[in-house]
Amino acid sequence: MPERATTIAFDVMGSDHGPAEIVRGAAQLSFESPGVHALLVGDAQQIDAALAETRHNAERISVQNAPEFVAMHEKPSEALGLKKDASVLVAARLVASGEADAVVSAGNTGAGVLACARTFQLIPGIRRAALATVYPTRTWHGTKQDPFSLILDVGATVDATADDLVAFAVMGSAYARIISRNPHPSVALLSNGTEAQKGPPRVVEAHAKLAQRQGLRFVGNVEGVDIPKGTADVICCDGFVGNVCLKLLEGVGETVVELANYAYASALRWKIGLAMLSNGLKQLKDVTDWQQYGGAPILGFDRVFIKAHGRSKARAIANAGKVAAKAVTSDLVHAIREGL
Amino acid sequence: MALPDRIDPRPPRRIYRWDLDKTYLQTDFDTLAQLVRTALQKASEKQAVPGAAALIRELRAQGDSQLCIISGSPTQMRAVLEEKLKLDGVEWDELVLKDNVRNLLRGRFRALRGQVGYKLPVLLESRAKAPVDSEEVLFGDDAEADAFIYSLYADLVAGRVDEAVLGRVLTAAQVYPDDRERIITAWRAVPRSDPVRRIFIHLDRLTPPARFGRYGPRVVPIFNYFQAALVLLADGQLNPGQVARVAVEMVQTAGHNLLTLSNSFQDLLRRGLPVQAVAAPLFQALEGAIQGREGVLQALRPLPDIVAAFTRRVAALGTTPPPPEAREIDYLSVLDDARPRTSKHRKAEER
Repeated sequence: MPERATTIAFDVMGSDHGPAEIVRGAAQLSFESPGVHALLVGDAQQIDAALAETRHNAERISVQNAPEFVAMHEKPSEALGLKKDASVLVAARLVASGEADAVVSAGNTGAGVLACARTFQLIPGIRRAALATVYPTRTWHGTKQDPFSLILDVGATVDATADDLVAFAVMGSAYARIISRNPHPSVALLSNGTEAQKGPPRVVEAHAKLAQRQGLRFVGNVEGVDIPKGTADVICCDGFVGNVCLKLLEGVGETVVELANYAYASALRWKIGLAMLSNGLKQLKDVTDWQQYGGAPILGFDRVFIKAHGRSKARAIANAGKVAAKAVTSDLVHAIREGL
Repeated sequence: MALPDRIDPRPPRRIYRWDLDKTYLQTDFDTLAQLVRTALQKASEKQAVPGAAALIRELRAQGDSQLCIISGSPTQMRAVLEEKLKLDGVEWDELVLKDNVRNLLRGRFRALRGQVGYKLPVLLESRAKAPVDSEEVLFGDDAEADAFIYSLYADLVAGRVDEAVLGRVLTAAQVYPDDRERIITAWRAVPRSDPVRRIFIHLDRLTPPARFGRYGPRVVPIFNYFQAALVLLADGQLNPGQVARVAVEMVQTAGHNLLTLSNSFQDLLRRGLPVQAVAAPLFQALEGAIQGREGVLQALRPLPDIVAAFTRRVAALGTTPPPPEAREIDYLSVLDDARPRTSKHRKAEER
C-alpha cells in the first residue's frame, strides 16, 4: 500500500485564540497540502465542535483526545509535572512513537521546550537545544527572496557555552538552507563589536571555532544594529541575549504602530498623509507579516517541533504545519547531524 | 393451469437514487470553460468519484434493487453518460437527464439552474411507480440543493410535510407553475410510507458537515464512499466483504491508503455514527480476504497494520459521542437552501 504522508501533530490547546483557531489552521492545511495529515491533539469535544463548523478534508485529519493543557501563565515544569497528559506532551509522545512526524504548538513556549526535552533525544554532538525565530529585515534572503532572517537562541538555553554557540550556528544554517531555500546562508555571532576579540569569552572562543569550521559561511560578528538590517541570514547568541533582542524588536514594532495611531488621531494632515501611505504600508505589512512563516523551530532534538506564535491565527498555523512538513520531508535533523 | 408467457422481475426491495455530477462523477463546471470542457469530454475521459462505481456495484449485487439516476446534465449528454456507466460496470434502471434545450426555447431561464422544480417531480413520479414497502437510499452532493430536495422528498412521501409548506417552498424556489402542478399531482399519487433510510451527501466542496445538521441524522455528509459503505454496513445494507471491495477500489484507483481510510472511519465515529460496532466484522472479512478467499483484497495487507490503525483511531477518542438526535426539519427556516446556487454563493461558502 502506498504510504506514507507526513503527519503533523497539532497541539490544539493553550494558544491565545483558543482551540478553534488551531483547528481552523489544521483544517486549511488538510485541503491545501495533500501530502500532509493533521493529527489534532487536545480536548476531542472542543476539536469536534470546531471541525464540524470548518471546511476541511476529514480524510487527512484525525483526533487524539488530551483534555489537559498548559496555560500561558503556568510554570512549565510544575504544570507538566501535574499534567502528565497535557496536550503538548501527548503530541510530543505521538511523534516520539512514530505515529506523527512533527509537532506544531502555539501554546506555552517553556512547556514546548520541556516537552521536547522529556520526550525527544538530543542530536549527538548537541548539548543544549535552541529556540529559533524569524524576524523581518530590510534585506531579501534566499531563493524565496523573503525579508526574514533567523535568530537563535531566543530563550531555550540561557547560559550557552562556546560549543553551544557553534552548534547553534550549524543548526541555524541547516534550517535556513532547508526552510528558507538559502543554499549558502551567512551565519554571524551577535556581539558588541564586529572585531573577533569583541564580546564575552564564550563569544570570542565561538568566533575562533567558527572561523576555522568548514562547510559553514561564517561572516564574523554582527552588532545589534545589524539585526533589522539583515546583515546575516542567521544570527547566533545565547538565549538570554536572544530573548532580550526579540522582545526589543517586538516592542519597537508595537511602539511604531502606536505612534502612527496617535499621529492619525491627533492631526488632520497626519491622517491624510497616513491615508496616502496606506497602500504602501499594507504592502510592507504583507511582506513582513510573520504569519506567512507560521512558526519557528526548537532545534537540537531528533524530532521536529515548530513553535507558532501564541497569537497565531489559522493562516499562521497552516503555514507552521507546512514548515514542519518541509522540515520533515527535507530531513532537517539529518542535515543538522551532517553539519556537526 | 396455463403458465404465464413471461416472468416479471421481482419488485425492488431497495431503490438507490443517485445524482451524477459531483456525486458519481468528478465534474467541474463552475466556469464557462469548465462547462465546455465537461460537455466535450468523452466517456473514457470522465472520472468517477473514487469508490462510487464499486459502491453501486456492491449495492446492486444485493439483488432486488433498482438504480435510479437523476442528473442535471443535459439530455444531449445521454450517450456519453451511458457509455461511461457501462465502462464502470454500472447497470441502471432509470437515467433521467435535464432537457435544458427545451427550457431555453421556452424562455424558462430559471429552470436552467433550478433544482427543486426539476428533481422533485422526477423523484415523486418515480416513487409513485415503486412498491410501497421498498426502501430508499439517496446519494447527492453539496454543490446544489440535494440535501434539501432529498429531505423534502422523503418527508413528503412520509406525509410529514403539508401542502401549505410545500407551496411556500415551491414559491421560494421559483418553480414554474407547470412544474408546480406536476409536483402536487405526483405527490398526491404517491402512497404514504416512510421509505428513505439514508441521504448521503458527498462533500465535493468540503462544506462543513455541521451545515447539514438541520436536516437531522438521516442526512449523512460523507467525504468519500468508504464512509458511505461503512454506514450502509452498520445499517445492514452491505456486508463487510463488500465494504472492503469499495475500499480496495479507492486504494487502487485514487491513492487512498490506510491513513485516509482510518481517518475517514474516525470522522464518522466523531460525528456519532454507529460504525464502531462494524469494525470487528470488517476486520474479519479483511482477514478472510487477505488469506486468499478473495484475491481482490490483496491491496490492503498487512492485516495487523489495518487493525492497529483502526483500533488506534477508536482508542484516540477516549469516548465516542452519542448519535445525533432525530429532529423534525423546519423547511421554512431553510428555504435559502432551495434556491439555485450562484458562483457568488459558492465562493462565500468556501470562505
